[in-house]
Amino acid sequence: MKCEQIAELFREYLEESLNPDQRRDVEAHLKECANCSEEVVLWQKLSLLPVEQPSPRSRARFEAMLQAYQAGRSDQPGSSPEWNKRPASWNFVEWLRSPLGTLAYGVALLVIGLLAGLRVGSPKGSPSQELADMRSQLASMKQLVVLSMLQQQSAGARLEGVTWSTRDQQLDPKVLSALLHTLRYDPSVDVRLAALDALGRHSSQPQVRTTVVNALQDQQSPLMQVALIDQLVEWHEREAAPNLEKLRQSPNVNPTVRQHADWAIGKLN
Amino acid sequence: MTLAPDEDLMLQVRDGAGEMLGVLFDRYQTPLFNFYSKLTGNRTLSEDLVQEVFLRILKYRQSYRPGTPFRAWIYQIARNSRIDHFRKFPRETAFEPEMLAPVFPTDSAQEQQEVELLERALQRLSEEKREILLLCRFQELKYKEIASLLGCELNTVRTRIHRALEDLRKAFHQIAQGKMLKKAEAPAAPRGGGHEV
Repeated sequence: MKCEQIAELFREYLEESLNPDQRRDVEAHLKECANCSEEVVLWQKLSLLPVEQPSPRSRARFEAMLQAYQAGRSDQPGSSPEWNKRPASWNFVEWLRSPLGTLAYGVALLVIGLLAGLRVGSPKGSPSQELADMRSQLASMKQLVVLSMLQQQSAGARLEGVTWSTRDQQLDPKVLSALLHTLRYDPSVDVRLAALDALGRHSSQPQVRTTVVNALQDQQSPLMQVALIDQLVEWHEREAAPNLEKLRQSPNVNPTVRQHADWAIGKLN
Repeated sequence: MTLAPDEDLMLQVRDGAGEMLGVLFDRYQTPLFNFYSKLTGNRTLSEDLVQEVFLRILKYRQSYRPGTPFRAWIYQIARNSRIDHFRKFPRETAFEPEMLAPVFPTDSAQEQQEVELLERALQRLSEEKREILLLCRFQELKYKEIASLLGCELNTVRTRIHRALEDLRKAFHQIAQGKMLKKAEAPAAPRGGGHEV
């Protein structure tokens, strides 16, 4: 048999699913042909390559996406046959991306606001409970919007998501953790910078400080490094000193960044 | 208790039980993540693409037909997501090995070294060849499934795998030889890591 024919049988050979004749043929060929026997070894070794684990954030992102989708669905007419005929209209997340979606969302907020205002203004009933309910619904709606925007493919949309998150004084824990993830892993420097800016207002949260301190070690972009250093100096974050020192001594660091780190170390001490 | 087959879960998702997608996510996120990370060398991008796959599943769930093997279907979506991504961002096509997670220590130093050699040899292959080896060896797709995924004949798949393996062997040899030469010249050179601007 030719090498090519033998190679086609490697998989079955290693899975021991060949019939005895084929097996004998393969073994005979492998004894004679050095290349093929090397290839079968390589084929086997490919299974040694380590299985990498995605970050735990991945599951949370998926959950947020699913939630956003299901929240969108409950607004839809349900799983009627008609619904099946209109595949483009069901996707809430997709729809929110569009300018029309943003506009509609704005209008919805306005209507909710007006209704809430009318309730407060009207003399009868006990408005405070309903108002509180509405507020909490509104807050979770906003949170969904921010979370779904932070996951968009386009950097512009993610940037907008970061901006949205700054509209509330109080950050929801889910939004906070999404922002922290954005700060560390977003592929676009602009989005990461914006996330840092947004997180700057929440320095009272210990998680925020720790992530920013640690980000000094992960971030490779000089722009980002300088912004992180500025933020840490602004917070007088003494915990950052060892990481600043490490950054300063790193052989690959940009000279400007090194100078900046020097300056920051001086400031913090 | 037996686990529900992927196909049954997907039919439930299609019929409105979105929460069942979570089970499929748990089953497929690691294999898909590894498919992408071994192909692109970029962890962040790989995680994004995995999310994109599941978003697309929700989006196109009505197009899932009973009897379609789910594994083949999801890899079709996975390939398309990647192709679309690189169509949008063509500059990011190059393999970025520095983004790869460090190799975990294995039982023996020799095994670890071989794994490293193999990873580097794999990176030298053309993307097309790397992909077919990954699909066949890690994602454990059947030849028939790969053929329908790549839109070619069964025999073409066999030939392509054979060629990919041949290239892998050559690359492995080249790297191993280069390494031996380097060892003879200098004991150890520090590994330089570039940085993004």
